[in-house]
Amino acid sequence: MLPGMLSAGQVEKVVSEVAGRIIESVHARALDLIHETLWWEQDRLSTPEPGAEAEALADKLFYAEIRRQLPRLPESEHRALLERIVCRYANEIAGNFNPAVYKLAAKLGPPVLSAMLTGLSPRRLFQRDGIPRLDQHLIIEGDVATLGRLHDRGTLILTPTHSSNLDSLVIGLAIQQLELPPLTYGAGLSLFRNPIVGRFLQNLGAYAVDRRKRDPLYKRTLKEYATVSLEFGQDNLFFPGGARSRSGAVERKLKKGLLGCSVAAYRNNLIHSRPKPDIYIVPCTISYPLVLEASTLVEDWLAEAGKSRYIIVDDEFSRWERWLDFLRDVFSLDLKIHLRFGQALDPFGNSVDAHGGSIDPRGRPIDPRGYLEVKGELVDDPIRDAEYTRSLEQRIIREFEIGNVIHSTHVLAFACFELLRRARPDLDLYRLLGSIGPEQTLALPEVEAEIELILVELAALAEANELRLSRIVADVAAHGDTRTLIRTGLLAFGSYHNRPVVERRGIRLHVSDPKLLVYYRNRLDGYGLRAAPSLPSIAPQKQGYGHG
Amino acid sequence: MVESQARSVSVLGAGNWGTTVAHLIGQNGYQVRLWARAPEAAAEINERRTNTRYLPGLSLSTNIVATSALEQAVADVDLIFIVIPSQAFRTVCAELGPLVRPAQLAVHATKGLELGSYKRMTEIIGEETSLRQIGVLSGPNIAGEMCSGKPAGTVVASRFPRVIEAARELLRSKQLRVYGNTDVLGVELGGTFKNIIAIAAGMATQMQLGENAKSLLITRGLSEIARLGVALGADPLTFSGLAGIGDLMVTCASPVSRNHRVGAALARGMTLTEAIDSLGMVAEGVKAAKIAHELMIAHDLRSPLMEGVYRVLYEGLSPQQGLRELMTGAVQDDIDPSLVRSAP
Repeated sequence: MLPGMLSAGQVEKVVSEVAGRIIESVHARALDLIHETLWWEQDRLSTPEPGAEAEALADKLFYAEIRRQLPRLPESEHRALLERIVCRYANEIAGNFNPAVYKLAAKLGPPVLSAMLTGLSPRRLFQRDGIPRLDQHLIIEGDVATLGRLHDRGTLILTPTHSSNLDSLVIGLAIQQLELPPLTYGAGLSLFRNPIVGRFLQNLGAYAVDRRKRDPLYKRTLKEYATVSLEFGQDNLFFPGGARSRSGAVERKLKKGLLGCSVAAYRNNLIHSRPKPDIYIVPCTISYPLVLEASTLVEDWLAEAGKSRYIIVDDEFSRWERWLDFLRDVFSLDLKIHLRFGQALDPFGNSVDAHGGSIDPRGRPIDPRGYLEVKGELVDDPIRDAEYTRSLEQRIIREFEIGNVIHSTHVLAFACFELLRRARPDLDLYRLLGSIGPEQTLALPEVEAEIELILVELAALAEANELRLSRIVADVAAHGDTRTLIRTGLLAFGSYHNRPVVERRGIRLHVSDPKLLVYYRNRLDGYGLRAAPSLPSIAPQKQGYGHG
Repeated sequence: MVESQARSVSVLGAGNWGTTVAHLIGQNGYQVRLWARAPEAAAEINERRTNTRYLPGLSLSTNIVATSALEQAVADVDLIFIVIPSQAFRTVCAELGPLVRPAQLAVHATKGLELGSYKRMTEIIGEETSLRQIGVLSGPNIAGEMCSGKPAGTVVASRFPRVIEAARELLRSKQLRVYGNTDVLGVELGGTFKNIIAIAAGMATQMQLGENAKSLLITRGLSEIARLGVALGADPLTFSGLAGIGDLMVTCASPVSRNHRVGAALARGMTLTEAIDSLGMVAEGVKAAKIAHELMIAHDLRSPLMEGVYRVLYEGLSPQQGLRELMTGAVQDDIDPSLVRSAP
């Protein structure tokens, strides 16, 4: 068995532990919960999901059977019926995981992954002198030495920013390079059906999250699954934003339900006096100069409220040719993807030192157990714990903010957008985007002047550790060489996307894709650059749980 | 989750309000440690049961044990009340940092924001110590009236129910009703900005403008406080509670309040320095006016009343001129639309 990975037997134990805990926490409400589940599941199954007809049929049969039995059963049997539902949910979540196959995949991991991420087609492989590897385009930064130590002392939860479905593969690559044990994480069921990574993912430590299931009991099962796996010492990967950032901005609000598993697991570890009770949350930022799914994501962000989609399945991530184009451009332009590990935290949002001990805001060692105690006894208090999770959320958001790496594309997009916005201060975002047509162009000197001003502010922010600059942006800021920045930005913008985001014609710049301009600009949103207003705040608020 | 057992508690700060809080807890039958920075003050409380500088004539509860050693004051107590003036708050919290533990609860009773950083007191506690289960005590509570046993109500705001319960258990009595709130930010801001309006009320009283004018001041003042509070993230309904309108009414009505007296002194023609000197104490409203002025600029808000007080205090406008500008300014809606929208 691989170190740090659960064996098949353990997975089985996790499932039964999850079901046991949920049933135990249900008091007189078994019947209510069954009705609730029936309602939500009927609702879900009433809209067909393409590609999942077989599963839908099995679900329908299962619930028809529950519905048939329910009126005949005495009240004492209701809990057993509920347990069947919970076990079904828990098995589905864990079911895609096959430790034996995982072991093989992990052993073959690096070559398989790089073949996947580089050649993608044998023909392409043979065309090149040697195999380009994505890992050469991945820059891993931050305190990586601590990660291994924290893994030895407790259980890790990696919480990255989420811009692309490539994120989990990038993390996978980094974990292998750092020789850290594999992580388990919840991947959307739709990803398992992805023609490119689906089969691969199935065996890569991922468990399944069906975002179409809105039943609260299902969400509870999911959270309990993550909690129990943490208690079993399994390192986890959570995308705390819940879904890929639609706007392109770094997440400023996180899903606290899943994050709350950290304090729950820590408390349970203490209650059971487990030897390594500590849970460490490690925020990390993944910064791409170009994002594979940018067009689809920003389209969704800008869709009128209510029309946006919870789940996106038909995006660039499922199309081979987009992968190929994306990777070709990453390689040919030598673009760098930055993966930066931030300050490790305890479940209360305190920093932890290099040896895994919690420290207070002034760096003094503290025992976090006290946060859960009243007169020396561990006390259960969900409202209190939710408050701790809020502190954790704030700390992670702060780490995202300061770990964000700014690329040339972001600066160029920000400058162009600012010039356009300031020229039409009377327009809201939608009208402004609508107003940007081929007839509007920006004079190169004007853009250069704006970039110069932005760079001064960016350099000051970087100096104050408020954000990070990619090597190119940092060099340009130091030498005042704005033309290099514009050139790199234009090259990247002119490559992967269907239309160049911005292109140069003579001494003028044309914005050919205003939506993507806003998307890349948003990566710099919220830093108060050039006194610009925050855009995500003026875009419509999305309802419901925006996953996918 | 209410526990009936007696809690150990300490109060940091033996000024007017800190001593009163300790006295009220002591009168409820709990042993309470009271920290005074000056050893003489601690000795006076322990030996003579008086605090002549702040509460002359009052015989303090015998349950109070005063100390000038901070470590002794907070060691192993369940709940710490922090009642330190805003300008000294961070210094005391920094000293407190190495002495406290995550299991301890804390409630502060300091009205004001940190100058320069605009930080609230709960934010300062969070930056300097490991304390997380924290809250704020605020409301219409004139120390003198509380000490003479007159009835009153107060608010404890915290995101942690246990903090509210613990503070309530210690403070509540036949004379004091303790209400809970979860809007920590709103309660802290209400207690801070009302002092600005109190300065205006002091001016109005001195100028004998009558009760109608005072009511106008209080109502419009509350509306400005709420508008600024909501812009900073508070719940608008908090301002209709004890820590909002409640505190504002008492501060504006009572001629003994420091802010009120500063306003009156200014209306008599004194300069700000003279007014502060004649008082011999800090009036939080003077600082709050500057902070509110800067916050209003930052958030692009219009608050004619608070702005008028600011200009009288810092730009040499006479109270008479200030008032004239107020009466001739553009009239807005009685209830600000931003408050209606943000009400849940």
